[in-house]
Amino acid sequence: MRTQEITVNLGPQHPSTHGVFRLVIHLDGEVATGGTSVLGYLHRGLEKLAESRTYPQFIPYTDRLDYLASMSNNLAYVQTVEKLMGIEVPERAEYLRVIFAELQRIASHMVGVGTFVMDLGAVTAVFYPFIHREKILDLFSMTCGGRLTYNYMRIGGLSHDIPEEFLPKLQEFLDYMRTALEEYHQLVTGNEIFLARTKGVGVITKEMAMSYGLSGPNVRASGVCYDVRKAHPYGIYDRFNFNVPVFESGDTFDRYMVRMIEMEESVKIIRQAIKDLPEGPVLGKVPKLIKPPAGEVYHSIENPKGELGFYIVSDGSPKPYRLHIRRPSFVNLGVLEEIIKGWKVADVIAILASLDIVLGEVDG
Amino acid sequence: MYGSGVVKGLALTLKKFFSKKITEQYPEERPFIDHRWRGSLQLDKDACICCNMCVNACPNGVITLESGKDENNKRFLTRYEVNFERCLVCGLCVEACPKQCLKFTREYELATYFRDDVKLGLYHNPKLSAPSSTYAQKTEQKKEG
Repeated sequence: MRTQEITVNLGPQHPSTHGVFRLVIHLDGEVATGGTSVLGYLHRGLEKLAESRTYPQFIPYTDRLDYLASMSNNLAYVQTVEKLMGIEVPERAEYLRVIFAELQRIASHMVGVGTFVMDLGAVTAVFYPFIHREKILDLFSMTCGGRLTYNYMRIGGLSHDIPEEFLPKLQEFLDYMRTALEEYHQLVTGNEIFLARTKGVGVITKEMAMSYGLSGPNVRASGVCYDVRKAHPYGIYDRFNFNVPVFESGDTFDRYMVRMIEMEESVKIIRQAIKDLPEGPVLGKVPKLIKPPAGEVYHSIENPKGELGFYIVSDGSPKPYRLHIRRPSFVNLGVLEEIIKGWKVADVIAILASLDIVLGEVDG
Repeated sequence: MYGSGVVKGLALTLKKFFSKKITEQYPEERPFIDHRWRGSLQLDKDACICCNMCVNACPNGVITLESGKDENNKRFLTRYEVNFERCLVCGLCVEACPKQCLKFTREYELATYFRDDVKLGLYHNPKLSAPSSTYAQKTEQKKEG
C-alpha cells in the first residue's frame, strides 16, 4: 500500500516539550522518520545583556539560565570571575557552596526523573519527587529568601551565612532522602510497563555521545566516564569521596538510572561536607569595585544537566567585554534529531524527556 | 512473576493514600513565609541619605531616586519609585543600602488589577506596616508567623 509521509508540529506550546521547544517530526504512519528542532522561543540575549552589566550585576541573570539549577549556575559564574581575578574564597563558603550545589543537583534530578516518568504516562510518579524537592526549596528559601531564583553566590563567597536552624533541617532531610529514594525505586524502577517503555529505547552509542559532545548524566549513561568534578576538580571537590555512576547501554532507562544513583552520591557528598564544615566568614576580601585585569578565562563545572562553562573576555573595565556560556542542555539537544529515527511518537516524547533539557538554558 | 513490580508500586500508593495529607488548602490556610523572604519593598524615607547606592546596584535600573538639599546642606528625599515590572527581585539594592532603610517585605501576593499599581511609589506609600524581611539586615530578629 502506498503511504504518504506527514509532518507534525510538536510544540512550541506543548507540555511534553518541557518549555517552548518546537520539534517538527516527519511521520510514516506512527513511526518517526526524522525531525527538525526549532529553537529560540525563549531567547533573551543573556550573553549580550552581560556586556552592559557589571560583574556582580550579572549574577541574578545566571539564575534564569537553567532555572531548575540556579544555585549551580551562580556557582559556575562566580568561580569564573574568581579565577579571572585570583580571589581566595573562605573555607566555610567553599563547603557551603558544595552543600548547596549538591542539594541543587538532587532537586534538579527530582524534576528530571519525575517529568520523564510523567511523559511515559505515569502521572502519580511526578508528585512524589516534587514533594521531596519541596523540602529542598524550603531549605533554600530559608537561606536566601527565594524558591527558584536564588542569587545566593557572590564573587568571593556567599551573600549570607546559613540560619541556625538550617543544619538540623538539612540532617533531617538527608535521613528522609534515603527512604524517599527507596520508595521511588519501589514505585517506578521495578515497574514492568516502565521497563518495557524504556529499555532499549533511544540508544545513544558511546561514539555518538562523544562526537556530539554530550555531557552530564546523558554521556555517563552511554559508557563514558566523564564528570567535571572528577576530571577537573573545581572548588574543593577533590576532598570528597564519591563515585561516578556509569552505565553501558545508553538507552532512556540508563539515563534515568544514572540520575537516581547520582542523587544517592550527592547525599554522600553533603554528609561529608557537613562533617567538616568549619566556622568563619562566608565572604572573602573582595574590592568594592570589581574590575578584573584584562584577559580571558574559561571555567566549567558539573551542573545537574551537564558541563556548564563560562567564557569571559575582560578589557579591564567593570563590565565584561564578551561573555559566552557553554550551555549543557543546548549541546545535549543536538543528538535528538538522530536518535528519534525509527521510534513511535510516544517514544519520541520519552526520548526527549530522558535528555532532561531546560529551555531557559537551550535558548539562553 | 510478571506484574509484581506494578503491584509493589500500587502497594506504596495505597500506603500513601491512608497517610497524612500534605496538600495545603491555600486561600484558607496561609503558608509559612521564611524570615529572609524576598517579597515587595519598603522604605524608611526619613533614614534615607539619598546616596544612590541602590540605584547603582540595580542590574535593570528600575529605581528612580530624586533628592533635594535643605538649609544645612543635608540631602532629603523628594521622590522614590521602583518599577516592579522589570524588577528581578535579586536583592542587590537591599544589600547595597548602607543605612538599611530599604528592606524587603514578606508579602507574597503581589498581583494587581491595573498596570499602574505594579509601580511602587515608596515616597508616598513607604509600606512600613507590611511585615518586613530580615534579608541583608545586620540584626536578624525572629518574628512569629
